[in-house]
Amino acid sequence: MWDLLPGYALDALDDADRRAVDRLLAADPAARRALDEYRAVVAAFAVETEPPAALRSRVLDQVRDVPQVQDAPADTAPAPSPGAAGGAVVDLVARRRRRWGAAVAAVAAAAAIAVPTTIAVQVSAERDRLREEAAAVSEMLADPDSAILRAAVDGGGEASVLVADDDMFFQAEGLPDPGPDRAYQLWVVGADGGVSSAGVLALRDGAATSLVRDSHGVGMAVSVEPAGGSAQPTTTPIVTLSA
Amino acid sequence: MGQTEAVASPPARTSADAVDALLVACVGGVPESFAPVYDALGPVAYGASLGVLRDPDHAAEVTQEVMVEVWQTASRFDPARGSARTWVATLARRRAVDRVRSEQAHRDRDQRDTDLRSHERARDVVVEDVERRLEGSAVRRCLDGLTSTQREAVVVAYYGGLTYREVAERLDAALPTVKSRIRDGLSRLRDCLGVHRG
Repeated sequence: MWDLLPGYALDALDDADRRAVDRLLAADPAARRALDEYRAVVAAFAVETEPPAALRSRVLDQVRDVPQVQDAPADTAPAPSPGAAGGAVVDLVARRRRRWGAAVAAVAAAAAIAVPTTIAVQVSAERDRLREEAAAVSEMLADPDSAILRAAVDGGGEASVLVADDDMFFQAEGLPDPGPDRAYQLWVVGADGGVSSAGVLALRDGAATSLVRDSHGVGMAVSVEPAGGSAQPTTTPIVTLSA
Repeated sequence: MGQTEAVASPPARTSADAVDALLVACVGGVPESFAPVYDALGPVAYGASLGVLRDPDHAAEVTQEVMVEVWQTASRFDPARGSARTWVATLARRRAVDRVRSEQAHRDRDQRDTDLRSHERARDVVVEDVERRLEGSAVRRCLDGLTSTQREAVVVAYYGGLTYREVAERLDAALPTVKSRIRDGLSRLRDCLGVHRG
């Protein structure tokens, strides 16, 4: 039966064989992994070719009228379990994706912007950073154990943090100007209550994001500090996010 | 800054991870969030369709269907199972193959269709053409590692959108022989391309 997986990936099976492979795939995760590899091989044959220019607006117009289906990845949806637990998890992931979709889109789109070579030289470091960030956040979103903490910021704005394993993705928007020679500084709050600096936030239109990896923290906080930042907070945090 | 000569890489190819993130991000998003997804993955859908259909108009129609499907079913994309590129190429190829087969069924019903022969000839797959088309790609290099019979079977199945049975007829070979050539060919390509997922 495994012998048919390459043919399945190539859409080269007749109906009877295809149904047999479908049954194998439903029962055997290792077969699904093998199929994924063959599909990657088949996909490698596709030569990227610019579609006719008119197609772009046709597709994007149509997309405005077509609703998305809301369900989990077809082959990895958790098996229905007794009680509502399974459904609740899927629901949570979907909700999380919706809520965080815009933030990841912004980061990923910034990384994906096409620029002429000369300018690319100057921005390539920044783009690499953004790419890395987008990839990491997308991974964090996929982690079923990740959590999102959210709170209003004293003085205006809202902050949230996505926590997955030891990684934290901080996001804030609507922050007022911190004042002359002042900056917002981000802190990681440790399990023992100690804080360590995660750097000064770069504010753009009142919004900022920051990815902190291997933080070993249980929460984050923001305080207003002198422009260069402080070693430890010197003012009361304007927002604290902790589990 | 100013070290222009240090960077010889071509401009702006969106990294695979960033494309995956774009696709995940458009789930539950506004329709506008799909624009960068289209820009990043439209060429894959069109290229995969064109490979099977050859006709630019048909390939454009299939690409439109596929990209709308990508938007609709973006929540089913699972980055753990493969890249967004592979997912879109798989969807596009399946639709293109479906179209070839339904056209074929249509022609088969009308035995007197005078277009039949010229169509068939236009769809004949020439290995040399394929190799030219893939010039410079990783697949092209890896195809050299296959035996000539493996290469022929894989290429005919891929570009012809054919079933095993049809490949066997086309190559005048036994069905089990064709199955094992394609299996061994794709396995070698898999090892050469390094797509093992653990």
